[in-house]
Amino acid sequence: MKLEQELRHAWAGHLTRRHFLRRCGLSAVWAAAGGLQIGTGSAVDPTIPAPHFPPRAKRVIYMHMAGAPSQLELFDYKPTLERLHGQECPESLLAGRRFAFIQGTPKMLGPQAVFTRHGESGAWVSDRLPHFAETVDEVTFLKAVHTDEFNHAPAQLLMLTGSPRPGRPSFGSWAVYGLGSENENLPGFVVLLSGKHQPDAGRAVWSSGFLPTVLEGVQCRSEGEPVLYVSDPEGLPRDLRRRTVEMVNRINRQSYEEVGDPRLLSRIEQYELAFRMQVSVPETMDIGQEPPEVHQLYGTEPGKTSFANNCLLARRLVERGVRFVQLFHWGWDSHGADQSEALNLGFKDRCREVDRPMAALIRDLKRRGLLEDTLLVWAGEFGRTPMLENRSGMDNRFVGRDHHSDAFTVWLSGGGVRSGFTHGETDEIGYQGVAGRVHVHDLQATVLYLLGLDHERTVHRFQGRDFRLTDVHGRVVEEIIA
Amino acid sequence: MILSIALGAAGCSREPEVDFDLQVRPILQDRCTICHGGVKEEGGLSLLSAEDARRPGASGAVALVPGDPSASEIFRRIRHPDPRKRMPPKGSPLSPDEVEVLGAWIESGAHWPTHWSYVVPGRPDPPTIRRQAWTHNDIDRFILARIEAAGHQPSAPADCATLVRRLHLDLIGLPPDLAEVDDFCSRPDEAAYEALVDRLLASPRFGERWASMWLDLARYADTKGYEKDPHRTIWRYRDWVIEAFNRDLPFDRFTVEQLAGDLLDDPTEANRIATAFHRNTMTNTEGGTSDEEFRIAAVIDRVNTTMEVWQATTIQCVQCHNHPYEPIRHAEYFRLFAYFNNTADSDLASESPVLLSFPDEVQARAAAPILDEIRRLEGELEAAGDEDWVQERLAGWVEEARRQLMSSEGRDLFGLKEIPGESEIEEIIKTPAPELDPNERMRLTRYFVSVVPDLKPLRDQLAAVKRRLAGLDPIPTPVLEELPARHARITRVFDRGSWLSPTDPVEPGIPGALGRLPDGAPANRLGFANWLVSPDNPLTARVMVNRLWHQVFGRGLVPTLEDLGSRGDRPTHPELLDWLAIRFSRDLGWSVKAFLKELVLSSTYRQSSHLDTQLLEWDPHNELLARGSRYRLSAEQIRDQALAVAGLLSPRMFGPSVMPPQPDGVWNSPYGGSDRWVTSTGEDRYRRAVYTYWKRTSPYPSLVTFDHPGRETTASRRIPSSSPLQALVTLNDPVYLEAAAGLADRMRRQPGEPVDRIRWGYRAALAVPPADGTAQDLLDLFEESLASFRAEPEQVRSLSRSAETQLDGAEHAAMTVVANAIMNLDDFLSRN
Repeated sequence: MKLEQELRHAWAGHLTRRHFLRRCGLSAVWAAAGGLQIGTGSAVDPTIPAPHFPPRAKRVIYMHMAGAPSQLELFDYKPTLERLHGQECPESLLAGRRFAFIQGTPKMLGPQAVFTRHGESGAWVSDRLPHFAETVDEVTFLKAVHTDEFNHAPAQLLMLTGSPRPGRPSFGSWAVYGLGSENENLPGFVVLLSGKHQPDAGRAVWSSGFLPTVLEGVQCRSEGEPVLYVSDPEGLPRDLRRRTVEMVNRINRQSYEEVGDPRLLSRIEQYELAFRMQVSVPETMDIGQEPPEVHQLYGTEPGKTSFANNCLLARRLVERGVRFVQLFHWGWDSHGADQSEALNLGFKDRCREVDRPMAALIRDLKRRGLLEDTLLVWAGEFGRTPMLENRSGMDNRFVGRDHHSDAFTVWLSGGGVRSGFTHGETDEIGYQGVAGRVHVHDLQATVLYLLGLDHERTVHRFQGRDFRLTDVHGRVVEEIIA
Repeated sequence: MILSIALGAAGCSREPEVDFDLQVRPILQDRCTICHGGVKEEGGLSLLSAEDARRPGASGAVALVPGDPSASEIFRRIRHPDPRKRMPPKGSPLSPDEVEVLGAWIESGAHWPTHWSYVVPGRPDPPTIRRQAWTHNDIDRFILARIEAAGHQPSAPADCATLVRRLHLDLIGLPPDLAEVDDFCSRPDEAAYEALVDRLLASPRFGERWASMWLDLARYADTKGYEKDPHRTIWRYRDWVIEAFNRDLPFDRFTVEQLAGDLLDDPTEANRIATAFHRNTMTNTEGGTSDEEFRIAAVIDRVNTTMEVWQATTIQCVQCHNHPYEPIRHAEYFRLFAYFNNTADSDLASESPVLLSFPDEVQARAAAPILDEIRRLEGELEAAGDEDWVQERLAGWVEEARRQLMSSEGRDLFGLKEIPGESEIEEIIKTPAPELDPNERMRLTRYFVSVVPDLKPLRDQLAAVKRRLAGLDPIPTPVLEELPARHARITRVFDRGSWLSPTDPVEPGIPGALGRLPDGAPANRLGFANWLVSPDNPLTARVMVNRLWHQVFGRGLVPTLEDLGSRGDRPTHPELLDWLAIRFSRDLGWSVKAFLKELVLSSTYRQSSHLDTQLLEWDPHNELLARGSRYRLSAEQIRDQALAVAGLLSPRMFGPSVMPPQPDGVWNSPYGGSDRWVTSTGEDRYRRAVYTYWKRTSPYPSLVTFDHPGRETTASRRIPSSSPLQALVTLNDPVYLEAAAGLADRMRRQPGEPVDRIRWGYRAALAVPPADGTAQDLLDLFEESLASFRAEPEQVRSLSRSAETQLDGAEHAAMTVVANAIMNLDDFLSRN
């Protein structure tokens, strides 16, 4: 399998096998060595990537909350922390620890939100997420996720590429590498950004690393061109664009007759796909076509960049067979150093921005019958401390918490995970996981498993060793699989 | 299979019937070394080398007894009838063929040759061939011998126009002018060909093209990387590389200056700028990060990069444990680390140490006395740190500071200001004095000197002198600077690669598998760099000729440019590789230009790239080079070519990186701030791609789409991809539309009918004339476009940007559509 995959991907897009075989009738060996042009295969074609086991999810919508939202204000309710509020943090919790900003002895900080139980499953959700709270029976919570990094960029990279340093392929790239794409007119891995900035680690979190660049996430945008350079140049009528592409391909075909380079066939196909994308991407990205009821459900406003718009776009993309949709919403870094970072101010705004849309996404996918084979993942790159942040040993102007890598909450929904379920538990102040701990590599192994991929066999040979998303770690969290 | 033939001959001779590299090593590596190798040594057994394998294991049994399979534990266990004792314990047992291979190999003496690339190359004789007349030089003999042995023949030479374009793109990265094509094709003889090659090698454009290759290896970028990824001023290093290629700085010297230019006797400014090669490592400026952790990350990157760039040896895994496949030990990694662990830089946002240089002679002269004064005062401050009274005060201060740090009460550290990096000073303060190494003592002293009130006058004086530079424009380039011996860091092996678990100290040194340092070689970067380019080094020349070959033929003689070790590909022409390595490093004195000249003068290079079905089936990847190579151009070439053909390309060289137009909203860093994409104006919009500002977290989008690497870490090879996003760039990016309009402008100035202009434009872009059918197709596109624009004149203005062509806007717009089509042809985007 490994060798076969490597051969398949070694020169992605090197030739279009179908054309080639039809034309030249060459042996399958060469075809395999020549590689696969991702995204144009048929179900019976043996060089199209295939899952290792029956997939429970066919596609993923991964919502990354960049900046790391506080689990202690959203899902991980700690009455004890409430009682300890304002007391000095015991030395035992600080010994041998490094924090991003906390210095000296900080004070404990009780929950800055009101918690109640919801749904038949009785999951705790705070009043910050009233809409989401109504959907908890569709959700699995992982309460004791942990990571190795406590700064944003490395932690985002670890979460989404399996390594804290830039240069590795991202989650979505691996998924398309292992499974191919289902839509001939759209890329297999799409990235949507909202919030004031792009994620801290930049493009590296949707990079294809050492995998072929066709597997890189394609950033789609709600404002301006939906995909870079997808619009016709100003003043060029669509008809002439179509004719140009036809003419280019006609001449390329003549060149192929003359020089016989199979790469030309791949080029022809790429121009066809590019032109189809020019038609289908703007159509897909135009949420203006959705009925008012849908806009009300999500809280969308066409033409703006927002998390709500991106959730609706994500649904439209997975509906059309896009394998992996990666959302980023920036602005969760609630240190309390200023208003936008305050748990009682900026954090509330962030919650309002995501609450209705993510609940709408669950409901909308469910009523369309898509939730059963679409996996939703909602996560930050780490969690926040039970202590009030005291930057440089002094009190911050606003209420906030520091970065915390030992325990945070991630939720999943649909795509083969249990509904109304909670896995894992933290101690009474939410500082450490005490049961059901899940490392980010375990989460990665689990998501790949749900897609039908064995994380230990989804590998790529580079610089003399086999690399995989989970590095040399990872355990499938079987407890949460329906 | 192969083996039974080998065994059949075993009667008369015991010479190596079994090929270790081809047959045995793959079995060991795939099935055995995961448990019995560099990482784990289950049962006390390692199969990394013959010595390891012949040592008794934990059970006392010897795994490998040469000549005696029945006495060899390894052979007993792979055939063991009890599955619980049979090796490997997991997965399927070895196949009968594999068992037979190992048996025959042990029987014949278990010959375990050193991996080919660790043996210093000799000079093989060029082979005898039949078609003498085909060859231009010895390279052709090696190539032809393989082709003839396979019963085939080389391809015909490429036509002259194709060859001129190929030479231009390969040597200077730009297409030829039509005049050059016509000139050469009017008399395409040998002398004219060689003269053309010489002219291109002497062009200033040469260095700009070859710098791109080297800047990937150097992970050159205009920002510091990591999360904040702020600006870094290091373009003078890029200019140094361009100049070095242009003046054909011999590769041995090129190596030594970049790795150790600061340690040469009386180093020049250029020598010191060259050391910025290793200041292209990323710097983490985010709050709360440990400067020491990221300083070490940078040193690790320097080790890995050096070993990949010069030795094509993957060594990343040896950070944590012995190499799983190569005979390189964990401790040897840290001996290499020790060479690079003693530079003064320490992940500071200031990038210190930096070399100040000036944009012109006048400024440099004005700055010289100020710089002298700064050096003098800095020396005084440094010396003050050694004075008794400072050391005494320091000792008392540390004691008090330690007391304050250990208690929970507020701390003022004697009222001294807090400075960045203090958390590490805190760590040092907490460490008992006898446990500090010289470098930690130095950092503590420097910190104290920078804050102790008594030295304030001296510091103020220094600050005042520095202010005198205000009227000048110093260019601060980060460089390597060696710490003096009395402040040297002690390098220790990090247990399992963790910098928080230092263990035994080590001295600088090279891995034993790669050879031995000459006696008396200095134990610093200079000694190391000299060894890399010495005749005793088995790899450097091979690695570089392989890279150059890849650039010219599209594929290395060892395709895995980054790995010539046992996991890399085997050379397609091992003798040729060695012959070239010797030729380059001895006969040609490491001259890159002379070497490239030999490559492009060969008949091998000049072949046509046409392939028929038979040729494709026989050699799909063109391993034997019985035809010319055909591959897509690089990201830089695609942009530069479009601008050149449009007549827009600026010839301006050097200087700060430029910001050509890119779509809004691409550059959006998490912290906003002063780093902004300010689109360049005038000529700077049209500079060669090598001068484009490179931000690691938001690189220039159209270059990335064509496989330009991110430049976070070294990149030996760009794997060419093919994606629809590439088509969108060359079809729709306004930069490419502007280029199309430029070409259309040039076409419209040509005499004759539209079809003549189209023929001319096609030739201007591709050097060769269009086929009649192609010219007709393009003419049809022109006429359709013209009709469309005449019907809707309001479209014309936006497409036809060029002001001087308003006479007949519709015609220019229609020609722009044609030019856009030409510039999207695969033949235009490829090198034939």
